Amino acid sequence: MSSYIDYQSAKPLDPRVIEAMLPYFHERFGNPSSLHGEGDEATKVVEACRRTISGFINAEPDEIIFTSGATESNNLALIGYASRNKAKGNHLIISEVEHISLHNIAKLLEKDGFVVSKLPVDQYGKVSVQKLASRITPETILISIGYASNEIGTVQPIAEIGRLAREKGIAFHSDAVAAEGLIPLDVTRDTIDLLTLSSNDIYGPQGVGVLYVRKGMRLNPLIIGGGQERGVRSGTENIAGIVGMSTAAEIMGREMEGEVKRLAQYRDKLIKAILERIPKSHLNGHPTDRLANNAHFRFEAIEGESLLLSLKDAGVSAATGSACSSKTLEPSHTLISTGLLHEEAHGSLEFTFGRFNKEEDVDRVIEVLPPIVERLRKLSPLYTEEVPA
Amino acid sequence: MKSTQYSEKVLDHFRNPRNVGTLEGDDVAWGEVGNPVCGDLMKMYIQVEDDKIADIKFQTFGCGSAIATSSMVTEMVKGKTLDEALKVTRQDVADELDGLPPIKMHCSNLAADALHEAIKNYRGKKTKAVLPLIQATTGSAKWLAGEKEFLGRGVYHTVDDFAPFQDKRVMVVDRGPKSLEIALELTKHTGRVIVVTPAKTISSTGADLATNIKQSDIKIIYESEPLEVRGSDEVEKVLVHDLDEDEEYELFVDAIIILK
Repeated sequence: MSSYIDYQSAKPLDPRVIEAMLPYFHERFGNPSSLHGEGDEATKVVEACRRTISGFINAEPDEIIFTSGATESNNLALIGYASRNKAKGNHLIISEVEHISLHNIAKLLEKDGFVVSKLPVDQYGKVSVQKLASRITPETILISIGYASNEIGTVQPIAEIGRLAREKGIAFHSDAVAAEGLIPLDVTRDTIDLLTLSSNDIYGPQGVGVLYVRKGMRLNPLIIGGGQERGVRSGTENIAGIVGMSTAAEIMGREMEGEVKRLAQYRDKLIKAILERIPKSHLNGHPTDRLANNAHFRFEAIEGESLLLSLKDAGVSAATGSACSSKTLEPSHTLISTGLLHEEAHGSLEFTFGRFNKEEDVDRVIEVLPPIVERLRKLSPLYTEEVPA
Repeated sequence: MKSTQYSEKVLDHFRNPRNVGTLEGDDVAWGEVGNPVCGDLMKMYIQVEDDKIADIKFQTFGCGSAIATSSMVTEMVKGKTLDEALKVTRQDVADELDGLPPIKMHCSNLAADALHEAIKNYRGKKTKAVLPLIQATTGSAKWLAGEKEFLGRGVYHTVDDFAPFQDKRVMVVDRGPKSLEIALELTKHTGRVIVVTPAKTISSTGADLATNIKQSDIKIIYESEPLEVRGSDEVEKVLVHDLDEDEEYELFVDAIIILK
């Protein structure tokens, strides 16, 4: 029996989603572009899913573009919008705490002659709307700020950013992958022009996602082909995937309120117990404006990969922003942006709860983590130096 | 291969590390190796009798393979002569552990280096030299790049009012006891106070002050100096120079106090 508490990295499909998807692999296999009964039925199904998902974020059905996932949606939003609208200006603004895909897309746009400002955040990882306003120039065409951090869980002032962008006539994109299913999304209320959604992050299948594109926004397609998705995203529709994502959104819409309350209880119980029981431990991210499922710690004088290995032995799956566990051997850019030193990011440990966690998972962490930290500190030259006997 | 796909031997040494601890005495020397990229740190202590390693202990701050390689090297060289121990390479340690993931070969396989450092220090009859406390004299320090540009926009030369620092990330450059007193006072107004000092220790600034600072939540960056203040229209980050490792890195802050 192990406790999986790393829902930000991957989520299992809800069994109800799998059941809804199954007929579309075999019995109901039509291509929406075909002019026969099977094709007509496929069209109907895709359009019904479009309606369901538009309801999930308070948009119109024809503002939903199906993609292969959040990374593609982010690419389409930034590259598609910037390349189509470069006559209006060459300046974009993102924040330092965006998902790595946005940082890498920004690098590509810079090579193409765009200027990308990276807005710094405060010690909790939060963007300042005032600072954002000061970065806007007559050349600014797009602002992209993620709804919340998938790492430290800090939630951004999205409605205020949306108001500012609308006032200045600048397009506003938000990557909502970390927030979806934890915060009710409303693109109309928050005046969002482009919104990235992933299916897996609401317990749907991988390989499908959405870009919400407000009516009137013009994007260049990145994938050229038969003109599906109003020509913005060609390729035969992934019907089973779309049905899965739509079912996941439908379930989430019904169950989110209760689920969020339960996850927030787990989060609060864990944060309180860990900060009380483990000396020299700190919470990363915002103390109150944080995702209901996110508890992100750092422990002085020890390293995150060692923590993960020890937790694995104790039957707990978690994550870290330590350089030692990354492909590039770089620490998490999000943690560094909040003002942490490399050695502090080294000792970070992230728990993200989800639908299938139970209270006993929280209790297991509270039981096993303090002795693990203590053991690793006994090995560490830093801890004995810093705490005189 | 994932960075954490370790052999059973690596996992065994990680779970049950051999020879953890420190040693003391006239016949003891120690070596220290740090990884400037990620902050890994290894300390290796040797006790020498008749030119042989009679006892050996280690302490390591780092990932699974950093701990396992430290543990393994202590087992490999215990009882060996100093010359034999000097011949043990990083590759030997990795081989003895049935291999390491390629990405870990360089970053966390420093145990042999720490051992060699300890042997050199033993032969040199000294441990790593302790830098004397360097303290800039008030007012004479030259201006940092960007210091003038951001003066009044996050750069402070004097502090009369602590209100502007509420909940801010504040870097205080060590300019002697007065600057450290300001740092201590700042902890009442914000949770993030960083002191940058070229010194290896702050103990000689006065026993009480040093103790208070060490017991506070102040983050001290030793053996380092600020090089440049960076930002857009306000201070956003400071380029810091690590004097020991001769590395430069950016640290995000909201304010920097440089007493003049």
